[in-house]
Amino acid sequence: MEPVKSQLAASSTLEAGFDPVVPSPPERRTTPRTWETPPAPVPSPHLDDYQGIVGTAAIDELRYLARDLKGKTLKMVNSTALGGGVAEMLNRLVPLLGELEVVTHWDVITGGNDFFEVTKAFHNALHGSAYELTRHAQEIFLTYNEQNRHRMQFNEDVVVIHDPQPAALIRARQDAPTRWVWRCHIDLSNPNPQVWGFLRPFIEQYDAAIVSSQSFAHQLPIPQYLFYPCIDPLSEKNKPLDDSFVQKVCDEFGIDRSRPIVTQVSRFDRLKDPVGVVQAFKLARKYLDCQLVMAGGGASDDPEGALVLREVKEAAAEDPDIIILELPPWCALQINALQRASTLVVQKSIKEGFGLTVTEALWKGKATIAGAVGGIPNQVIDKRTGMLVHSVEGCAYQIRYLLTHPEFAVQLGRNGREHVKENFLMTTNVRRWLLLMRIMLGWGTV
Amino acid sequence: MSTAATTTQRAPAKPFYFNTSAHLLRITEYKANRLADLLDALRDCPEESIFQHTFRTLEEHHFLRAGFSNDFAHWALAACNEPSLAEALAGVDVREFTSVAELRTRFIQILERYLHEHPPTGTRFADETFYFCASDIVVMPTSFQAHTLHEFTEGIRRVGLHSIHHHFIEARLRIKLMSNDFSQWLHEDAGLTETARSLNRIDIYTATLEDVREQIVRIVERALT
Repeated sequence: MEPVKSQLAASSTLEAGFDPVVPSPPERRTTPRTWETPPAPVPSPHLDDYQGIVGTAAIDELRYLARDLKGKTLKMVNSTALGGGVAEMLNRLVPLLGELEVVTHWDVITGGNDFFEVTKAFHNALHGSAYELTRHAQEIFLTYNEQNRHRMQFNEDVVVIHDPQPAALIRARQDAPTRWVWRCHIDLSNPNPQVWGFLRPFIEQYDAAIVSSQSFAHQLPIPQYLFYPCIDPLSEKNKPLDDSFVQKVCDEFGIDRSRPIVTQVSRFDRLKDPVGVVQAFKLARKYLDCQLVMAGGGASDDPEGALVLREVKEAAAEDPDIIILELPPWCALQINALQRASTLVVQKSIKEGFGLTVTEALWKGKATIAGAVGGIPNQVIDKRTGMLVHSVEGCAYQIRYLLTHPEFAVQLGRNGREHVKENFLMTTNVRRWLLLMRIMLGWGTV
Repeated sequence: MSTAATTTQRAPAKPFYFNTSAHLLRITEYKANRLADLLDALRDCPEESIFQHTFRTLEEHHFLRAGFSNDFAHWALAACNEPSLAEALAGVDVREFTSVAELRTRFIQILERYLHEHPPTGTRFADETFYFCASDIVVMPTSFQAHTLHEFTEGIRRVGLHSIHHHFIEARLRIKLMSNDFSQWLHEDAGLTETARSLNRIDIYTATLEDVREQIVRIVERALT
C-alpha cells in the first residue's frame, strides 16, 4: 500500500474554491515507448509460486482435492486460443490442473467468418441487444457445430463447453458416462428471448451450468454453479512491481506522484462512462488538488471507441491534470504500474459484466469507487471494500471524501485485497474446478 | 502444584485432528424481489441456503471487522433501505444456534414481526434481487494434528482460516452443542474447562477470523503458563 497520507500532503492546505498552483507537467507521452513491440510471452507459474500469496494451507487444499482426481480427464472447449478473457483464463488454468495431475485437454472450435458473425450477433443479443434470429443464422450455427462435433472426440470424464459458440456440441453426448458442463461467461441477465429460446434446449441437456453472477442464472432444470471470474496475482497485470518501475512509468506519462492520482483503467466505451469520470473529477477538484489518469484502449481499431475518446478529450478540454492514455492491449505492466501509482481507482461503469479492473485495483489495495452495476457489487461491498456510486455527483463526492480521509481509504484497500484473496484469485478458481469435478463424478461432498 | 499446572503437563487423552472444508456455490431457484418474497423463500428454501447466507457468508467475509453479519441483513439495508430490519437481522448470532432449522425460524420470526408492524414494506420492490444460493461442501484433513497443547497452538497458528471457521464456527451444527470443536477438545480431552469457556466468549462479529485465531492462541497460551 502506498503512503496515501504523504501523497495527500500537498493537498492538505487547499480549501474550497482555491485555485491550486500546479507545477508545469513534465513532458508527457500518451503511449508507452514500448508500444511497437509486444513483450515475449511469460511462462506459466507453478502452483508453488502461489504459496507466498495465498499460504501453504490453500495450496495443500488444492493438492488434497486433486488427489482422488488423479488420472481423471477434463476437456475444455471454447472458440479462441488467443485474445479475450476466456482464453487468458484457460491459458493459466490448464497448466495448473495438469500440475495437479488432472489431465486437461483444451480444444478450440473452428468456423468460417459467417459462423463468427452469427455468434458475435448471438453474443450481443444475449447481452440484451435487439436481434432478429433468422432460420439462416440458426443453420450456420448448427452446421459449424456439427462439423466440429465430427472433428472432435469427447472421451473425457468431464467436458466443459465455454460460452454459446460451441453449445450445440452437446449433441455429441452419448450413453458414455461423460459429464457435460456449460460454462457461460457472458451476462445473461436480460437475454434476447429469440436467441435464448434457440439455445436453451441445448443448455438443458447439460448436467450443469456455470455462470459468473447470481443475476445471470436462469430457471434451468439443471444445477447452476457460481464461478466468479478471477485474476492471476502473478500475471504481468497484477504481479508486484519495483517502485522504480512504477516511477519510471509515471515519469514517462508525466504523472506527478507527489500529488493525489485518481485513475480509471477501461476501454474508451460509453458503458464505462469515461466522460462521467472526467466530470466527477472536475467537480472534486474544486475542493482538492489531484490528477486524473484515464488509461484505456479500443480506440484505434474501433470506430465507436475513437468517437468516445474524442468526447473524453473534449470533456477534458486540455486540462493539464487530466492525463488520457491510449494503450495497446499488451501494456499490462504499464497498467499495473498506473494502478499501483494511484491514490484512488474509479470504475464508473453504467453496465458491466464482472469488472475485472475493479478486481485488479482491489488486489493492489487501492480504495476503489465503482458504479453499482453488474458484478461490481459482488466485489465492492459498499463502505467495506470500496464505495459504490450511482451518479457523477456521487462519484465526485466519494473522490473528495476518500482523498480527505486517507485512513478510511487505507482500510477499504486492505479489506478489498482480502476480499480478492478469498474469492477472486486464480487459486480459488482452481479449487472451484476441482470441486466441480468431484461433484460431477458423484463423490466427495457432504 | 496447581490444578491448571497439572492439567497442562498431562497429555491430552486424544489428539486433535485439524480438518478444513471447501465449498462450491450453487444458485437455487429461490429469489426475492421484495421483503414478502424473502419471507416466502426463507420458509421454503433448502437448509443449505440458510447455512450459506449465514455461516458461510461469514467465512467469505472473514476479513471484515464490523458491519457484516449475514446476507439477509446486508440485503435489507443495501437493497431495501430498511435499516431497523437490517439491524434486527444482523443481531442474530449464528453461535446461538445448533441447528439450521432453529436459525431459519429466528429469521422468519424477525421478518414476520417487521412486516406485521410495517405492512407497506413487504410489497415494495428492492433495488436488487436476492438470489438464494447453497454450497456443496467437501470436508478434508489437513497435515496438522495435536498430541500436546503446544502442538495445538502451533496448529491453530498454521492452519488456513477455513479450518478455523470449520472447527470454531460451523462446528456447533455438527456437534449440536453451544460450543465448538476446540473448546470441546480442551474441555473433554485436555481438562481445560475454563479455557474452553473463554474461547466460547470470543466475539466473532467484531473481529476478523485472523483476529479470532490470535485470540484463541493467546487464551490457550495463557493456560499453559
